Amino acid sequence: MTLFQDASGDPRAATAKLADVLSWYGALGDAAAGNPPGFCVRKASIAVALCEIVSAPAEESHVAFFSGLLHAVGTLGNAAYRKGSDLPERVARIESWDIPAEGARIVATIAALPAQSADLVRWQSECWDGTGYPDQLRWHGIPRTAQFLALADTFARAGDPEEALGAIGLQSGRAFGPDAARAFVTWFHSTGGEDTAQPFPRDALLPGVTSAEKLFDEISDRVDEHNGVSGRWRRVERLSLATADALKTDDDTRRQIEIASRIFGAGELASSMIEDSRFDPLARLGIDDRAKHAALAASLASRLESMGDAPAAVASRGEWYDGTGKPRGLTQKSIPMAARILSATIAYDKLDRAERLDTAVGTQFGPHVVRAVFEAAKAKA
Amino acid sequence: MIELQERTRRISPSRLHEILLAHDCKSLVDPFMGLPTHLNYLKRHGIAVHGGDLLEWFVRVGEGIIANDLTFLRDSEVAEIVEMLPGRIYSQELFKAWEGVFFSEEQCVYLGVWHDNVRNLRSDQQTGLAILGLWRTFCYWLQKMQCSDDMQDIAPSELAWSYIRQTEQWVIGNMRRNTVRRGDVLATMGAQSADALFLSPPPRNSFRSADARIWMWEAWWQGNPYFAIEHAYRDSLLGARASDAPSYSRAVSSILSSADQFPLVIVQTTEQRLHDIEPLVRSARRHVEIRAPHPYEIYLVATN
Repeated sequence: MTLFQDASGDPRAATAKLADVLSWYGALGDAAAGNPPGFCVRKASIAVALCEIVSAPAEESHVAFFSGLLHAVGTLGNAAYRKGSDLPERVARIESWDIPAEGARIVATIAALPAQSADLVRWQSECWDGTGYPDQLRWHGIPRTAQFLALADTFARAGDPEEALGAIGLQSGRAFGPDAARAFVTWFHSTGGEDTAQPFPRDALLPGVTSAEKLFDEISDRVDEHNGVSGRWRRVERLSLATADALKTDDDTRRQIEIASRIFGAGELASSMIEDSRFDPLARLGIDDRAKHAALAASLASRLESMGDAPAAVASRGEWYDGTGKPRGLTQKSIPMAARILSATIAYDKLDRAERLDTAVGTQFGPHVVRAVFEAAKAKA
Repeated sequence: MIELQERTRRISPSRLHEILLAHDCKSLVDPFMGLPTHLNYLKRHGIAVHGGDLLEWFVRVGEGIIANDLTFLRDSEVAEIVEMLPGRIYSQELFKAWEGVFFSEEQCVYLGVWHDNVRNLRSDQQTGLAILGLWRTFCYWLQKMQCSDDMQDIAPSELAWSYIRQTEQWVIGNMRRNTVRRGDVLATMGAQSADALFLSPPPRNSFRSADARIWMWEAWWQGNPYFAIEHAYRDSLLGARASDAPSYSRAVSSILSSADQFPLVIVQTTEQRLHDIEPLVRSARRHVEIRAPHPYEIYLVATN
């Protein structure tokens, strides 16, 4: 069984899957950095629009898009943002300067992306006057497109377009080169500061060199490391699939489980979110947090076609069998089977004594599912 | 109007760090350090760094952000740098020669005031930080002269204040001894051993075409607007005469052959100069790996 729907070797479908996985990566970077959902696409789109203003070649626009999309992937695992790290404010700030360089190292390993993408991720936070990070490059040592990314970032973060225009004007010659700032002002006046989402440049991805499935797995590993629960999704997936076998579920449920195991951890990424591992998985105390995690992970993934119905399964993983769960209070069979299995195996993975899962039968979990989880765990042992 | 160069040396310290990590290097000597912000990055990541340069202001900045682990400038100390202090007599005419040519009258007065104030600072570390902050102000002015419509007018003291305060963020310790020295390349290499030597040899006759933002600031630090780095340092740049192509090659070869105590030598160059530099590196070292992420930024990683 393949992770995503089998496309029977259609290269366009393979590229579409990879595009979705890259978009997922970008969204996770934003979640970890505390940016609003969709921030990376907005940043990428504005950078592309600025490239168009200066009549940059199409390749440069594509690289701008990819770099904008993946601008924050270096946040995953960064000491300033990693769960459980409690650094003093100054040290955390200095650690956060490594995010672009770490992001560049990650992007450089994705062979399907144009080669320049990594360096633009590396230099997106450099300032014209040499006060940026990580490399403190200055003046024309900073590529023009990296400056566009920095401008796009500033604009996308500002609450009001006019306020952004003022801030960028004030930083001309300091954070931004005068030429780049001029390009921004031209764009602003020609569009009224209204940015439109640019399409993902799928044709610019090198075909056949990066496996979407493998990249998806790597991303999930990074998410678990960031959350301080290394290897969790792999354990949860193994047990969930074995449970699904014991329950003789259909292929669609299995596929949902495969994807859902990889994405549920995304809900814990944001720094404001406590991680699942902090609370007893069988207690009602963490029910609101679990529901929040589920909703965030599901909302990030639901925009991506390749994820299929998995986001719906993740969204329901906070539901309880007896209808007292969150967010919708679904009961018994109205909860998707994949969600029922996933919530039980996630809890099982966290429990200090596995037999405690029994105590939640009939309330949090259905009896059949719990029996199947034990059966699967026993078979694996 | 003064021309500001578009082609500037680009060293990516995060990339350099990756090379050092791959070779398990924990210390580095850079005898052509220039503005040592790249060494500051490496220092922050736990590498013991030792830099050297001929230009004194580079070395002073190095004392602020390389050798210094603790000292920074507090608000009251910054205030004593950016404005005229009552009761002190200033050499306000010191940079009058630049007036009208490069700067306004007000800016020239400030340059003289800052020169005096920085010279009166209590420590080398604070002096280095102040020089760095003021240099960024100076660069802003030069840039503004070229793009006056695109850049805001900011009061000199306000701009200098913000840049000097910002230098605090580069002050950090790494539990290692980090040094800077004023001297030519061979003196720096001889004074310090390390796991790696980083060489970014300046082009032949580079002082003749030096960036205004570099030579003018040395002139400012020396308190002499007519100061010419070409005359002061020409023959000492590479430790030997290097004004024609054969003598330049000989000088670079001599540097490379003096680098035996360094297990790893990283030579940074550009695509344009690669064909001149590469044979010299290959004749000095048995194994040479070329990393060329960008035409302006090529690293020859050489081991024996």
